[in-house]
Amino acid sequence: MGAEQAWLLAAIPGGMFFVIAMIGRWLPRQADWLGILTIATTFALFFVVLVDFLGTGDGLGPITNSMSWTEIGGFQLDMGIFVDPITIVMLGVITAVALMVNIFSVGYMKGEPRYFWYFALLQGFAASMILLVMADNLLLVYVAWELVGVCSFLLIGFYWERRSAIEAAKKAFITTRVGDVGLLIGIILLWREAGTFNISEIIAFAQDGGYGSTYLFVASFAVFLGAIGKSAQVPFHVWLPDAMEGPTPVSALIHAATMVVAGVYLVARLLPVFEIPEGMMLIITIVGLVTALMTGVIAIAQTDIKKVLAYSTVGQLGFMFIALGAGYPDVAMLHLMTHAFFKALLFLGSGSVILATHHNQEMDKLGGMWRKMPITGTTFLIGSLALAGLPPLAGFWSKDEIWVVTEGAWGAWATILFGVAAVLTAFYTTRLFIRTFMGNPQDEHVYEHTHETGPVMWAPLVFLGVLAVVSGFVIFNEVGTALGFPGGFTEFIFLDEPHVYSIHWDFAAASLAAAVIGIFVGAWMYWGGRLDRATAFANWQPGLFDVARNKFYWDDLYQAGVDRGLLGFSYVVSWFDRYAVNDTGVDGSAQTTGYAGFILKHIQTGKVPNYAMGIAIGVIVLTIAGMAARG
Amino acid sequence: MTFDEGQGYVLLSTLAVPLVAALVLLLLPGGFKGGIRWVSLITGAILLGTSTYIFVAYQADGDIFQMELRWAWIENVSFLGENGVSLYLGVDGISSLMALLTGIVAFAGTLVSWKVDYRPKDFFILYWVLIAGVYGTFFSLDLFFFFFFYELAVVPLYLLIGVWGSTRKEYGAMKLTMMLVGGSVLMWIGIFAVVAEADLGTFSLPELWQAGEDGVLGENFQKIFFPFFVVGCGVLAALWPFHTWSPDGHMSAPTAVSMVHAGVLMKLGSFGIIRLGIQMMPEGAEFWMPALMVLGTIGAVYGAVGALTQRDFKLVSGYSSVSHMGYVLMGLATLSAIGLTGASLQMFSHGVMTALVFLLIGALYDQAHTRDLKDFGGIAKVMPLWVIAYVIAGLANVGLPGLSGFTAEFHIFVGTFQTYPVFGGLGILAAALAAGYMLRMFSIVFFGPLNPRWQELRDVNPMEAIAGLLLVGSIVVMGVWWSLFTDRLAETVLNLPGVS
Repeated sequence: MGAEQAWLLAAIPGGMFFVIAMIGRWLPRQADWLGILTIATTFALFFVVLVDFLGTGDGLGPITNSMSWTEIGGFQLDMGIFVDPITIVMLGVITAVALMVNIFSVGYMKGEPRYFWYFALLQGFAASMILLVMADNLLLVYVAWELVGVCSFLLIGFYWERRSAIEAAKKAFITTRVGDVGLLIGIILLWREAGTFNISEIIAFAQDGGYGSTYLFVASFAVFLGAIGKSAQVPFHVWLPDAMEGPTPVSALIHAATMVVAGVYLVARLLPVFEIPEGMMLIITIVGLVTALMTGVIAIAQTDIKKVLAYSTVGQLGFMFIALGAGYPDVAMLHLMTHAFFKALLFLGSGSVILATHHNQEMDKLGGMWRKMPITGTTFLIGSLALAGLPPLAGFWSKDEIWVVTEGAWGAWATILFGVAAVLTAFYTTRLFIRTFMGNPQDEHVYEHTHETGPVMWAPLVFLGVLAVVSGFVIFNEVGTALGFPGGFTEFIFLDEPHVYSIHWDFAAASLAAAVIGIFVGAWMYWGGRLDRATAFANWQPGLFDVARNKFYWDDLYQAGVDRGLLGFSYVVSWFDRYAVNDTGVDGSAQTTGYAGFILKHIQTGKVPNYAMGIAIGVIVLTIAGMAARG
Repeated sequence: MTFDEGQGYVLLSTLAVPLVAALVLLLLPGGFKGGIRWVSLITGAILLGTSTYIFVAYQADGDIFQMELRWAWIENVSFLGENGVSLYLGVDGISSLMALLTGIVAFAGTLVSWKVDYRPKDFFILYWVLIAGVYGTFFSLDLFFFFFFYELAVVPLYLLIGVWGSTRKEYGAMKLTMMLVGGSVLMWIGIFAVVAEADLGTFSLPELWQAGEDGVLGENFQKIFFPFFVVGCGVLAALWPFHTWSPDGHMSAPTAVSMVHAGVLMKLGSFGIIRLGIQMMPEGAEFWMPALMVLGTIGAVYGAVGALTQRDFKLVSGYSSVSHMGYVLMGLATLSAIGLTGASLQMFSHGVMTALVFLLIGALYDQAHTRDLKDFGGIAKVMPLWVIAYVIAGLANVGLPGLSGFTAEFHIFVGTFQTYPVFGGLGILAAALAAGYMLRMFSIVFFGPLNPRWQELRDVNPMEAIAGLLLVGSIVVMGVWWSLFTDRLAETVLNLPGVS
């Protein structure tokens, strides 16, 4: 098997979805082992693909393999796969995190109803996600894009007996679906001029100036709407925090490491197109910056540990978009990778806490967990510091590099705003860690019953913890080369204009300072589980605090928009349909006919003299009319 | 007798089998319910077999019209010349697909009608006459018989809804019949005008199509009379604003009739627009298609918005049908090969999807005796198979890739964007609204805590399960294997006049 057969990576879990969904219920242990085996196979095959890809040597051009799908006259559709460095990185991230999540789930989901269905969906998701990153044409991307959306819907709504879970699932699906309207429009607009859905051909067509400038702006903006819908950027970010209703391992896999980065992936993939229309890169940057800043503020005021992590994810995705806006897909992909590892670690760590405390995820009831759960606590600390951006952990390298390229592309204003977002990140991360794992327990009862989770759960934490430490080092060309990426990681990703990494000491110092300031302020405020300083701050500016706690009122705004706007419009349409179209138009004409018959029936008296009179009048009228006409 | 002529007898028998079944049922005593049901079941199975054969045997790279058969009926009398009125049957790519749809839906409808207990004899007689009318319309290459079968399909509906229906059935049945007959009157006028104007002494459709293409039917004539056919047939295809019979009619109709009606009968309307409009009056079509595009798009958006706040299951589906038939009209209005392929695919896709939805609604209503969404909640707990099937139908409705709805809508959108990007965008927006009304229904009815009132609901029975599986299978096959359908449609749509 070589890279041409990479489609097997999607086909195997895809097939297993059907097997587990249909007969998993009756297999031993409800087929959880089958799920792990499937993903482990996929993970192993990833290395086969990687080695084959690196081995083919010359220039690392993409490897493709496609077949004809449908044909109507001149309209041809091919479906195929496309393996290039970006795909390779995505495949590695997806299969590694999916494997860890599958293993962790054995412990986390133990004894849950519909256990087999959960594992079936994990396979279905993995298959769709792998298909998404391998697709060689935008139509297939869209297909996989929708399929991951459905898997996400079903997994968020896994506990569907709970009203809140199903509402969250609905919200996630519909919100991303609104973005997908843009995506589909954009894809078809790109096709309309280029006459192909193939990604490479569209890029080539765009670079040859095939699209008009305004046209391409509209098309790429439409695609971008789809991307920020899936990647939960402002103004589509509202679904992701709610999606935390799903089982926690799902949050780690889908809503932190893989599916939500699909938007980043898509923009990275199509970046040569986005670079052409004027203003598009600025829009990407601004969306990323606004998202990063706003979610940083919101995360400070949340008390649910998963919500904090969710807003943090949204913010980190914003960082990736900032890197894309600066024109550096390699940097975005690097942060995507490091973030996938440390954020999956944090989510799984929070899952470990949640399970150990019998489904408690409120910080107000936690505290002091480190003592009870040393492995979870230590790995969580590693993840937190990586998120805060402390060297030499993974998050430092990627975030620092984003800062460098942002300064290069946009100058001071973006640089400063990025710095603020970085400080906020370090601050809320510190708050999260201290309030959950340090200080005195807030709730003795919860604390008493807590104990470290089993190896099936902490082993994935350790694995991801190691990656959260070392995965950033690939930024060094020497490390990248040693691992087999010719010329180092960034160059590997970014073939056209190699971007060779070198340490910028000024930015490294600033990054370190941002992390340290955030951590220090966080520690000063919450050290030892104290809350008086935070309370004092909240009381000092209650309005500001309310805005943050209420998530800048986005959810309320949308709720009102849907209830009063869309549903109101629907009521108006229904009313119009009932009373104007039906009762007046349809029934009205029926009644008019009936009434006319009622009037006219009086002519039919049934009396011969009346009819004779009618005939006589008729003859007279016709005679006069005939004479008048004649002359 | 050549092989191809033999194939013509397949069409003839597909048309004759339901009529014979009706005759046999007529002779059976009404109390012999078992016999009546078995006769119907066997009839349905035979039709499913022949219909599948017609679709599979249609050669994608052969002539456009295949399996032709012609029996002259009246010729060389008065104004009628050679082949004046003849029973002239044949299928092209579109009608072979429609035959397959009819076979699937008719068989599924028979299965779920197993439990009809009130006068099953009369029910099935009318049912098979209706099915015969449907097949006849799809197969006819003669204008006279096209109209004859078209009417034969519409008339039994009145009785089927009026006698076996529910919820304001007299009103629903009357309104539906009156509106459809109103449409037929327009067609009737159009037919006389066309035959008189062409003055060929024949009702043969291929000759009339040739007349339309060659300009024997003049440009102004086409512009004047094209609307007669489009509005006349459009009523049956829920053309906005002549759609209001659809929600009420569906609400009143018994399960199998809803299935056949939404699944197949509505397609007679859009099929008629192709046969009598696009094929017979290409210049009229070119002139009027922008208007049809507007009305189709209005229908697509209007239906989706209207469905958002409905509380009756069947009204949700009724409005959703208006929306999806709007897509069909949009596809027709593009006059492009991709758009027309999409419209044909959507006719099939909407057919199987809606038949499945009505089947499931019927299975629930028979037990619950209410269709108010707000009465339910959490029934996935007690009816898991039912919910899985409904979710698949719903997701097909929403246009999820891998299911039939996406295959069809994708072609329609691509076709629409070629010439009408703004309308294409609105169409895609309506597809997002579909997610809104579908998931709203899922969330209210299927999920959440189980309403204890429904503890006793049982899942689908074996008959419904077989029918449901057949329909789900059709949805999935079209969703995955596009070329099975597009190959058969491609040559046909490319050879329609005025289509590029």
